[in-house]
Amino acid sequence: MNEIVIPMRRIVQELQIFAGCVLAALLVNVYSILRFNTGWMELLTTLHITLALACVFFALVALIRCVAFWGRLALRRKAG
Amino acid sequence: MDLDSPSLSSSGLESRADRREFLKRLAVLAGSSALIAELPWWSPLRVAPVAEAAADRVRLGLVGVGTRGNLHISHLLNTPGVEIAALCDDYDPHLQAGLARVKGAKGFSDFRRMLEMPDLDGVLIATPLHQHARMCLDAFSADKHVFCEKSLAYTIEECQAIADAHRGSKRVFQIGHQRMFSPAFLQALELVRNGAIGQITQIRAYWHRNGNWRNPVPDPSLERRLNWRLYREYSCGLMTELASHHMQVANWFLGAHPVACTGYGSINYWKDGREVYDNVNLIYRYANGTHAIYDSLISNKFYGMEVQVMGPKGTIEAEAGRLYAETPPPAPGIVQLINSLEHGFFDTVPIGGPSWVPDLKRDAKGTAITHEKSTDDGTAISLAAFANAIRLGVPIEGMMEQACRSGVSVLMGQAAMEQQREIAWPEGFRI
Repeated sequence: MNEIVIPMRRIVQELQIFAGCVLAALLVNVYSILRFNTGWMELLTTLHITLALACVFFALVALIRCVAFWGRLALRRKAG
Repeated sequence: MDLDSPSLSSSGLESRADRREFLKRLAVLAGSSALIAELPWWSPLRVAPVAEAAADRVRLGLVGVGTRGNLHISHLLNTPGVEIAALCDDYDPHLQAGLARVKGAKGFSDFRRMLEMPDLDGVLIATPLHQHARMCLDAFSADKHVFCEKSLAYTIEECQAIADAHRGSKRVFQIGHQRMFSPAFLQALELVRNGAIGQITQIRAYWHRNGNWRNPVPDPSLERRLNWRLYREYSCGLMTELASHHMQVANWFLGAHPVACTGYGSINYWKDGREVYDNVNLIYRYANGTHAIYDSLISNKFYGMEVQVMGPKGTIEAEAGRLYAETPPPAPGIVQLINSLEHGFFDTVPIGGPSWVPDLKRDAKGTAITHEKSTDDGTAISLAAFANAIRLGVPIEGMMEQACRSGVSVLMGQAAMEQQREIAWPEGFRI
């Protein structure tokens, strides 16, 4: 069985992407608070929803990255 | 005071020691509650239970060792500072079963003989309705404290006679309306007082069961004696045995007695020789224009029982312990955003839909008004209050008023159904 080694650089990169997703989810929360005129306390009380939304964003980004990866791979094979 | 405090949760009342601890906590809480301070029947509970010394013990006699009487025995055996000194029942199997549970209690088949016991402090009356008045009056004459099961009496005149006998007496009187001691109902009352539902505009109560409401009878000759609830000679059936609880709550929450009542009742399903209605539907009118609507039947239990206290801002279901706001607080912004996106994606565009929305019941879950499910409906607390009141030697104010208001209300309802006309609150009735 092959041993898979994930380099630290890759882990940091994934964490940075997830942090970006959390930030994006927080911004969505801020927007919804302003749009629906609810309380700022919701930034804390709906943290679980924010984190769930961040996970959804992370999954979407992963999907996009996969599509980009496969696209690049196909182009490389075509060129090579 | 937080009426919803875990200290007021009566879970764990299974032993005398548990109950002692519970009553100690209750005494502290009762002393600090503004709401409870307004309810005079809670005042005896501000005193913690005493030690178990014989001199401190309250000696009680219980008359009527049937279903309810046995429940009282269970509670009294666990109530600190209480001794069941005597049991009385004219049906010997019940009496013997009771005496087997209460070691050392004296047995009587005649209530008046029991009253002759000089060291008996008070009596609990858990007999058929038609005997309540005579026993209450005999007990007052014998200078005993009285706990009488609901409903107060069989006729309005008897209610008046009991109130008259008690007026000016230094004896403690308590009625078996345990919701007056139920933390869930206190919580509901506090919400009403705090304006959570606005002005009470209607109270709707119902009690539905599905069963013949009969006790097993070992011999046909005992039918009327053991199934007394089914015969008009002894009882007013659903009104006095069930409705009296919810009418007490309605009168209590509205702070008044009804001025008039109308309604219908019939025997439409259990046509088995019974004489009391198996379904009743009544409307009570109060002086301020509020109505209490009550119905009960024993051929369908889908809706169970409930007291719904309604106002422009919300509804309280006191039995279930839930509050339903008319305009619930909005969902968090982020949830609203997700919902609006969802609707944008998945909703169909109506071309020719209905021009009105049917006023169907909202599928609202409401919010709990009590966090913990109590194992006691208030009966344990009410018996502790009775014992403490006897020990303190102070009559419980307001108790006879509650007893008379509910007792007379259900008798008005019974008369309205039987006479098929509106019945007014009896003029000149004095509490």
